[in-house]
Amino acid sequence: MQAYLTNLAVLIGINAILAVTLNFVLGYAGIFSMAHAVFFGVGAYTATWVAIKLGGGLLLATGAGMAVAALISLALALPALRVRGEYFVAASLGLQMLAITVFSEWKAFTGGIGGITNIPPASLFGFQFTTPAQYLVLTLACLAAVIAIVRALVRGSFGRSLKAIRDNETAASTYGKNVAVIKTIAVAVSSSLAAVAGALYAFYMSFVNVESFVLDTSVLLIAMVVIGGVATLTGPIVGTLLILLLPAALSYLPGLPSTEIGSIQQIVYGAAMVLLMIFRPGGVWSLRRREGDPR
Amino acid sequence: MTGAHEVLLETERLSVSFGGLRAVDDVSLALRAGIVTTLVGPNGAGKTTLFNLITGHLAPHAGSVRWLGRRITGQPHWRIARAGIGRTFQDLKLFDHMSVLDNVLAVTERDAWLWQRGGAAGAAQRLARAEAALQAVGLADRRHARALDLAYAQRKFLSVARLLASGARLWLLDEPASGLDPRSYERFLALLREQVAHGCTICIIEHNLDIVVGISDRIVFLDQGRVLAEGDPKSILSDPNLAAIYFGERIQ
Repeated sequence: MQAYLTNLAVLIGINAILAVTLNFVLGYAGIFSMAHAVFFGVGAYTATWVAIKLGGGLLLATGAGMAVAALISLALALPALRVRGEYFVAASLGLQMLAITVFSEWKAFTGGIGGITNIPPASLFGFQFTTPAQYLVLTLACLAAVIAIVRALVRGSFGRSLKAIRDNETAASTYGKNVAVIKTIAVAVSSSLAAVAGALYAFYMSFVNVESFVLDTSVLLIAMVVIGGVATLTGPIVGTLLILLLPAALSYLPGLPSTEIGSIQQIVYGAAMVLLMIFRPGGVWSLRRREGDPR
Repeated sequence: MTGAHEVLLETERLSVSFGGLRAVDDVSLALRAGIVTTLVGPNGAGKTTLFNLITGHLAPHAGSVRWLGRRITGQPHWRIARAGIGRTFQDLKLFDHMSVLDNVLAVTERDAWLWQRGGAAGAAQRLARAEAALQAVGLADRRHARALDLAYAQRKFLSVARLLASGARLWLLDEPASGLDPRSYERFLALLREQVAHGCTICIIEHNLDIVVGISDRIVFLDQGRVLAEGDPKSILSDPNLAAIYFGERIQ
């Protein structure tokens, strides 16, 4: 039981990193990305490659993942952010589909459909992370660091720029903001921080394959942000908890045949989304701060 | 040219068409430092379009815009803004979900990078500038309110506070007084006069003749995209032909 809960907690931590970093662009900058799972995957594969081929430790592997994710995000953002928002949705969806093909076909780097197994455990200054409890500590530390970075950015001048662009792009540029550059930087930051989750995931599972980085993952991450509450620091974490604990909670419901859990889960998701859009369009967490400055 | 009334901004034979309609047609005009110029004319005369051409929101099909003698035509509007040209919009375009203070603070922060240059001292300076702008328009006590939650007149004053904090040398104001109650627009006029006294140059699009007379040094009368007349307020407003055009009677 304890092993199960620890495992669940690690996965919640990893997904919370993804949701918080997605919210950075979706909630604060109004950039709707359907490709967040791509950067999760790029982080995971790059960290795996560095760990296996170069024998790199946690810092090197994660750093490399972040750098590669940031570079790939630039390839998406530079052309797509020059045009209006809807095009970014389409372009990011295109990147997501392209990435699935690359992840499943580029066998030398990703191991193809079968993925890569036996990824060595993460090592940090000579210490090896081997037990789930150790990974939980590591994940929570990374989550805290990511939240601290995002918090500092959104509460500072960069966050004000993002919110200004989200609220009125024309006004933002009329008052001297270089909108395309600011959006591009935001996407690069979000993507490279998402790669941290990828590296953690690869080391923790010691196995990666394309299944974890498909469109469903991107959509689920969007759901976590929207359900939790966009443009809030706590919302995405609340959303992650709700979405990941729901299947766990359902599996403990008495009298529910285990074969039916999957479809019931879908019904509950759907119903929750509809009810949320009706009663709390800003997300679960948004009600707590309807008044005053929505930082 | 230098001196008290140097030419800040000059348009040369500026034209733009939408389909078959020449919205701005061969407009040449000069905005001089310290002079308040008002653009008047019936709806559809091309006043706002002229602003859009100056600030780079529209590209002219012919002609050019010069700022301090340098051609700025075709530059992105954020760059034109940084050169010192600021504007307001008829629909205000506030940052609705941000606080009043953040609305103003945001326009003082122009570095695209994750942080602004100048460190803590720079931040303190920008905050002081923003606070001073809110003080000047009388919104200091609403600094933590959301822009969305302000009353209409306060929203108008916030759009001016943004302009004030941006440090723009030339203000292009698009119908700034429309919808203001008499007390608010008295306050608004006083604010503009004070800014002009501080060296600000203003170009206003305005229908309210009290404002036109109350503050303008010079009037440019536009109709169907062309400059029909320009001169001091008295001579323009007393011209019966212009009045007829303004009130919708076409002179053949």
